[in-house]
This record gives sequence, C-alpha cells and structure tokens, in this order.
Amino acid sequence: MSAAGATPSAKAARAPGEKRAAGAKETTARGLALTLFALLALAGLSLALRYAHLGAFGVPVALVIAGAKAVLVAVFFMEILVERVTVRLAMGTGIVLLGILLALIAADILTREPAPLTNPPGTEMRDRG
Amino acid sequence: MSVRAAAHFEDIERQEQAARLGMWVFLASEILFFAGLFALYFAYRSEHPRGFDLGIARNTIAWGSVNTAVLLVSSYTVALAVHELRRGKPVAAAWLVGVTVALGLCFLCVKTGEYLEHFREGIYPAGAGAFFAENDEPGIKMFFTLYFCMTGLHAIHVIVGMGVLVALLVRVLRGSIVPAASYPLAVGAVYWHLVDVIWIFLWPLFYLTPGGLQ
Amino acid sequence: MTTIDASALFPGRATGDDPAQEPAAAAPGQAGPSYLTDGTTVWSWIATTDHKRIGVMYFVTTVFALAMGGAFALLLRAEHLTPTRTIVDAYTYNRLFTMHGIVMVWLFMIPSIPAAFGNFLLPMMLGAKDVAFPRLNLLSYYIYLVGSIWVLVALWMGGCDTGWTFYTPYSAHSPSAVVPTVFGIFIVGWSTILTGMNFIVTTHTMRARGLGWFRMPLFVWAMYGTSIIQVLATPVLAISLAIVGVDHALDWGLFDPARGGDPVLYQHLFWFYSHPAVYIMILPAMGVISEVVPTFCHHNISSYKAIAYSTLGIAFVGFGTWGHHMFVAGISAFDAGAFGVLSMLVAIFSAIKVFTWVFTMRAGSIVLRTPLVYFFAFLFLFVFGGMTGVAVATQSLDVHWHDTYFVVAHFHFIMVGGTLTAWLAAIHYWFPKVTGKMYSERWATLGAVLVFGGFFLTFFPQFLLGNAGMPRRYYDYDPVYQPLHVASTIGAFILGAAMLLVCIVLVVAIFTGERASANPWDSRSYEWYAPSPPPKHNFDREPAFGRGPYDYAEPFAGAAEFEASPEAKAGTS
Repeated sequence: MSAAGATPSAKAARAPGEKRAAGAKETTARGLALTLFALLALAGLSLALRYAHLGAFGVPVALVIAGAKAVLVAVFFMEILVERVTVRLAMGTGIVLLGILLALIAADILTREPAPLTNPPGTEMRDRG
Repeated sequence: MSVRAAAHFEDIERQEQAARLGMWVFLASEILFFAGLFALYFAYRSEHPRGFDLGIARNTIAWGSVNTAVLLVSSYTVALAVHELRRGKPVAAAWLVGVTVALGLCFLCVKTGEYLEHFREGIYPAGAGAFFAENDEPGIKMFFTLYFCMTGLHAIHVIVGMGVLVALLVRVLRGSIVPAASYPLAVGAVYWHLVDVIWIFLWPLFYLTPGGLQ
Repeated sequence: MTTIDASALFPGRATGDDPAQEPAAAAPGQAGPSYLTDGTTVWSWIATTDHKRIGVMYFVTTVFALAMGGAFALLLRAEHLTPTRTIVDAYTYNRLFTMHGIVMVWLFMIPSIPAAFGNFLLPMMLGAKDVAFPRLNLLSYYIYLVGSIWVLVALWMGGCDTGWTFYTPYSAHSPSAVVPTVFGIFIVGWSTILTGMNFIVTTHTMRARGLGWFRMPLFVWAMYGTSIIQVLATPVLAISLAIVGVDHALDWGLFDPARGGDPVLYQHLFWFYSHPAVYIMILPAMGVISEVVPTFCHHNISSYKAIAYSTLGIAFVGFGTWGHHMFVAGISAFDAGAFGVLSMLVAIFSAIKVFTWVFTMRAGSIVLRTPLVYFFAFLFLFVFGGMTGVAVATQSLDVHWHDTYFVVAHFHFIMVGGTLTAWLAAIHYWFPKVTGKMYSERWATLGAVLVFGGFFLTFFPQFLLGNAGMPRRYYDYDPVYQPLHVASTIGAFILGAAMLLVCIVLVVAIFTGERASANPWDSRSYEWYAPSPPPKHNFDREPAFGRGPYDYAEPFAGAAEFEASPEAKAGTS
C-alpha cells in the first residue's frame, strides 16, 4: 500500500505556507516587456551616473540601483512572489546570511586600529619551498 | 492528462513543488558561493581605495555595458519562453530559448575579447604582466586578480546555464516538456536569471564606480 | 519471539501489544522481500536509488574513513610518547595531523550521521517512500566517493601538511600536496550541498498526509537544521578552498600582502563555513539523542518545541560566531567583542536541549540499554566540552588557551565525546531496524563503557596540558609534559581497542544475532512501524501519524489500529 494512505485529516494538516501564493499572478507578456524596459532604463541611469562625479557615493548609489534591478528580475522574471512561502524563505535566508558575512567582516575591516597588514620591503614570500 | 508523477511522489503537483523548491534552495547556495568573493572585493576595496579606483578606470565601459544589455535581454527572452510554453506554444518557446542561448554565447564572446585586450595591455591575474611594472600599487594588482576571479567564475556559470538551457531546449523540441507541466523550463530559466542578477552586481563594481577618477 | 522485545524490556507494560510485535515476516500482508534482499546483485546496490541502501553505502564508506582517521590519530599519539622523535619525523607528523583532521572532518564526521542515518531514516520518519530526488541522492553519494578518493590520491602523493585549516600564507607555498587535497574536499563539498538540498525539499514536500511539522520526530528537525547549514555554509568553504588551490597552483596571491592581500580575510571566509560546520556535526548528534532519550525513558519528550526551536536557533546563531577562532589573529577589538557575545548565545540553545533531555529522564521510567549508556556518556562529555567552549569564547581566557592542547581537548570533547558517542548510540539504537538482528547487550554495553573511559583518559589530560602551556601541533615538547602525554596516549589506544570491540560485536551480531522484531525498544517513533528490516517502499502499514512520535501514554499502536487483522485487534482490546 502507499505510505500516503487515507488519513481523515489529510488536507487540513498541510501547513498553509505550502500552497502557492493565491493573490500573485504570473507575469503577462506585456509585464515582461515593461520589466525589460525598466531594467534597461535603470542600467542607463547607472551608466549616466558613472560620469556624475559622485565620489564616495558612487558605490552605494550604484549598488542601490543594482539592487532595484535584482528585485525587478526576481519579482517579474523569476516570479518569486508566485512561489510558495518556503521558496521565499530559502532565498531570504540566503540573502540574510550574505548580509551577516559582509557585515561581520566589515565590522573587522572598518574598526581595525593599526594599518592593514603589509609586508616590509624585501620580505615577500615569493619563492617556494 | 498524460503527465504522471514519479513513483515516489503523491502527485504531479508535489513533484513540481519539489523541483521548484530544490532549485531555489540551490540558488541560495549559489549566492553564498559568490558571497565570499564579494566579501573579498569590499574588504580589499576599503583597504586599497585608490588602487581599485585606478583599476576600474582602466576597464572599458562599452564592453561591460554591452554585456549588461545582452544579459538583460536574454533574461527577458527566457522569461518570455516560459510564458509562451504555458500558453501552449512550444515552437515559439523553443525559438526563444534558442535566442537566449545565442545571447549567452554573445556575452561570452564579448568577455573573451575583453580578456584578450587585457592580456595585450599586459594585465594578467596575480599582478603579473608588463602593466603592473608601471602600476605596482598593491591595490591595482588585487583589483585585477579579483576581476579575473569573479568575472571568470561568472562566465563559468554562464556556460553551465547555457548547457542547462540547451538540454531543456532538446526536451521541449522532443515534446517531453509539455504546456500542462511546463515547470522544468521555468526551473531552468530561474537559474539563468540568477546568472543575470550576479552580473547586475558585477557590472557597477568593475566598470562604473571609479571613485573620484574619470 | 526474540529475547529482547517490548515485553522483556518493560515487564508488566504493553504486554497486550504482543501480536503487533511479531517479527515482520509473520505480519499479515507482508509478502515482499526486505530492502536488503530485494535484489542481491552488486549492480542492484551500486545503481540503487533506494534511500536505505544509499544510507548503508554511506555508512560503510564513513566507517572506512573513521578507521583511517583513527589510525592517523593513534600514530600521532604514539609519536608523543617521548618528547622528541618516537616513530615518525617532523614533516610526517605535520602531514599526519593534517590528514587526521581532514579525513575526520570531511570524510567521516560531516556525512556520518546526516548522510548515513539521515538517508536511511528521514523518509521513513516522514512516512515517505523515498527522498524527493532519489537519483540526485545516488549522485551525491558518488560525488562524495570521488572526493574521498581524491583525498586518498593526495595522501598517496604525500599528503598535505598545512593543518586542516589551510591557513594562508603557508598553504600557498607548502611543498606538500595541497592542490589535490583541497580539490578532493571541494568535490565532497558538492555532495554535502546536494544532500542538504535534497533533505530540505524532502522535509517540505514528502511528508505523509496527516504529518504536520510539529508531529515530525525530532531527528527530522535536526536533519532540517543541519541541511540549512550544509546548503548555505558549504559554498563559502568551496570558494575559499578553490582560492587556496588557485593560489597554490598558479600563485595568484589573493591573500598575499605584497599584492594587496590580507591573510586574515582567508580566516574569515574559512571559519564562516567551518564554525557552522561544527553544528553540521553536532546537530544530528542532538537529533539522535532526542530519539534515544524518550524511547528508553519511555516518556514523551518534556518539551518538543524547545528542542525543535533550539535546533533552528543553533543553526542560525551558529552563522554569527566564527570570529571566536580569530581572537588573536589580528581582528579588531570591536569585532572580537561582537563575536564573543554572539558565541555565548549558542550555549543557551544547547543548554535548553540538555535540560529538556534531563527533565524527560526525571519524568520517565528508565530502561538502561546500550544507546542510553551512550547518551549518559554524551551528556557528561558534551556538557564538559560545552562549558569549556564558553570559557574559550571569553577573549581574555582565549589569549592564554589559544592554539594550545586546551582547545584541542575542547573540540574533541564536542566532536568525539558528543558526535562520535551519539553516532555510536545511533548505530546501536537503529541496528535492529537496519539489519533486522539484535546485538549482544552485554558486550555492547562493555564497549560503550570502554569507549567512554578511553575517551576521557585521552582528552582530559589534554586540558591540563593546554592549561600548562603545551601548544598544539608541536612535534617536540618539554619533558615536563611527558606524563600527561603518556596518559593521553594510553587512553587513545584504549579508545581504539574499544572501537574495535564495538565493531566486532556488531559484525558478529549481523551474522549470528537473533532476529529483531519490528519494534524491539517499544518506541513510538514512526520508523518502528515498518518491519525490521523494512521492505523497499518502507511501510506495509500506515504509521499512527495522528498520535505523534513520543506518545507513551497509550500502548504501541503497531498494526492494530490500521490493519484489519483479527488477531491484532484482539491483542489491543
């Protein structure tokens, strides 16, 4: 017999998060085209800001734009909102851990007292053995 | 319905759910795979800001921007392929997957041309080459080593993604992926989108943010 | 009936269940062969997609890895009998401790419980016929095998002498076989990732109807937490080892200060994996214990949710603690403080589990069998190791103990005293289910006592050595340390002999042991509803998912509630 036999409370016991999201819809052809347009526009903006002398703000601004593009791809091309809660949890956990990795390394690099390690001249370890 | 689940699954719905979740979990793993290199990039950039600015100013914006456009369009075509297959148009879907693979190939050609240009200028990984004899700041050596590591690893992912798409293309043409259960193509497309997303972050970090330099 | 069955274990209790306890072959409706006899050719094993067979294949392979790593350990301990050269030269000594670490961590400990027992049990505990991706599961095994063979090739090429941590800059320039070693581990890493992904998807999509998240056996929760770490930490190891390999083979210098590199960043990346990897090793052990304790105390686990949530807590907090390996590596004082605090949090979740197990025992009626003896060893050694862990996570103390035998003793108390002991408990606990045979209780208990004694004698002196200043990984040492080194070596050989005894007892039991009934321990967990050994598709009868895996208030449902067999019905009435 099948392991998944007839238990009375079959459907009721399945966790609600297991179902694919009800409200969200798969992207239409028109939606896909609009998304591509938005992505190219954001890429153009990023490219234009390359010449805008943003100095120290250049990297954060570029990363924010890149993040916006990534969200567009995830939502409209990868249809992450249509997927089940578990899928979003998996992706969210991955991104949170990426954040932990970057944050705790940054907490080291940015708060070190002495200058970063550099070898005195003539002490490079180039030769083997 | 001609679509049947594998023997150990309760029904095709569960099987689809498993395939989708499996791919997304794998994508989370891929994010962490690149995370290490991104961590190195940010740490080294904050330790050697000037070297990184010089390195970014050396890269050709046009190459990187063309490749960005190519990958964004390829993401669109593969998403459209999934859409067409769902609407019951496998031939259109197959064409669109073919276009996506061609765009991937285009990306790799541009990338190769770019690498060759670097080699001509004497820029190699590990701070080797004539270029670094004149620009011997540690930061610029590290910038280009990371540049080759990260874009190279990304290129490997492009190649793997193209392989996945070709395999799916064959299955669509053979009729083993049908509109009623189109999820294998959707799952493969999701991998291709991740490859695109990684490039979305590589592009500004290696081409667009030279600090105060122009 | 067999001599050890429920009625013998629990006189006066659950005797009315006996008809349900009949050996599986006699049960009505069971005509098919067991998974062991369903196909007996070599091909039927090496090409199998049956999760139980894959689990057994993993088990056998990891036992070989354990034997190899154990042999290295005995050679190391023998070398330390005298303060100077005893049996090997210094370079060989370096390679021995490196390969001991590599083999034990990646070839034995990581797959030991998750891949072997997880594969066998996870689908059964979920009431499923198999894992979600059976062919991927087989592929994972072969990836693991190929990676292991690569490590053996590296060994044949002379092995690696960098320590299992591959710290730069030495790993970029060591004359030993660094590249094949890291390549082998890189391959094994993919197997770990794919297994973790498979288990996560299986837990989400393969649960039988009626089996909600909080009715899953706690071992499944442990597997789930472990899988999350496997999937999300291992890729960072893969990239760091790939960099080490490239640095060594092509001299790219990604961590070379002369070319803008920073060796401390390597340590960050390495420990981002390798600290959570400790929880890949200990969480499954905790899962095993959470099964063993309720069964042999014959009582519901005193707080199911405390164990389940603390499992997830350890899995996530474990990702934010890696810096405590680097207190003296040159990280900033601020970061060291942050890591010190975060590290303490793990102790809270571990303590929740320990209290829950102990409280379960207090309320239960204890039947002392070998798995429970191993639990007692686990409890003592894990708490001891855990407390010293809190001590070394304190920065001021760590400065004194860092890179001494104190740290070596600490992590062996967790890894060997915790994981290996729980692994042995798992072997004895599920032995009847996997093989369909019973082992000699007396000899197995003797083995357990000897394992504990040998272990304690090996590693307790190392705490004293470390505190007295004996650095780890040193080939020569000051003669003042010799008595404690000799004690440790004697302990190591007792431990080795005890492991050999356990192995003999179990191998003898496979051939001459009495037949096991379906549920010899009178457990309530779902895997015991299947015959011993189970048929290919696991269950002839539906487990009582409605009652939960730790419901000891009622007699074992067995076949009675779900099978229309008249004798079974008569038995429970």
